[in-house]
Amino acid sequence: MNRVACPAPRRLASFALASVPGSERVALTQVADSVAHLNLPPQRLNKLKTAVAEVTMNAIEHGNDNRADLDVDIEVLYSGTEIVVTVTDHGGGDPGWAGDGDDAEIPDLDRKLSGDQGPRGWGLFLIRHMVDGMKVTVEGERRTVWLTLRTPVPGRPSGGLRHIGG
Amino acid sequence: MDKSMTSMEVRMADKLTSVIDIRGDVTAASEPALMAAYEEASRQGARRLVLNFSRLEYMNSGGIGMLVTLLVRANRQHQPLAAYGLSDHYRGIFELTRLDEAIGIYDDERSALAG
Repeated sequence: MNRVACPAPRRLASFALASVPGSERVALTQVADSVAHLNLPPQRLNKLKTAVAEVTMNAIEHGNDNRADLDVDIEVLYSGTEIVVTVTDHGGGDPGWAGDGDDAEIPDLDRKLSGDQGPRGWGLFLIRHMVDGMKVTVEGERRTVWLTLRTPVPGRPSGGLRHIGG
Repeated sequence: MDKSMTSMEVRMADKLTSVIDIRGDVTAASEPALMAAYEEASRQGARRLVLNFSRLEYMNSGGIGMLVTLLVRANRQHQPLAAYGLSDHYRGIFELTRLDEAIGIYDDERSALAG
């Protein structure tokens, strides 16, 4: 059997942002800049940007409870076949969902319009539809969301990429 | 850093329809501006509202929640909502959230007004 060597992920960017409103816009721009040389199809890049903004906003508002003295750390890794973005908060706040969010309530427009659900609560739903994988790790007060986006392998047809998760 | 760079301008496109021209960001922070625009349109007698997203720069989940709030208010007053100018990305998000089932989506203002 031929074995395919998996190169160690390369760090494309690593930065910290203050937990203040608007930092999510900075995060999506810096992540997009760091992967610009990979020439992702625009639709894939836009989805990654939306997911990064949502996760960063969640880290600011919930994980760090809007405490400007707490940073959100963001790292972008690239393995040759996938981009991994990690977003870490340090405040130990309630993220609004348990574990990887598998059991979180799915927003339903009909229920929202009838008042059965609140109008908000779209963040996790969006994140899970924008990227190919999402997981959460927790170490004490430190909570990290890992976003994975598969990228076309150079020299191979890209084919269709399906979404994973809710 | 919190630059809520949103502006919403209301204009009557015909006797019954108001267009809200949205510029900049659509986030939870835009809610006062959007609701003020909605009230202005209603005050002018609008029976139908058209949202112009052609100058939208960024929308997040808070902005989607805000549109749901607008839909609830407009539904109560029997004011249908339409939209045009969405990029492919945000059109996809409207489909994902099923907002496109509650808000008529059009390519341009002419077709939105005709719809």
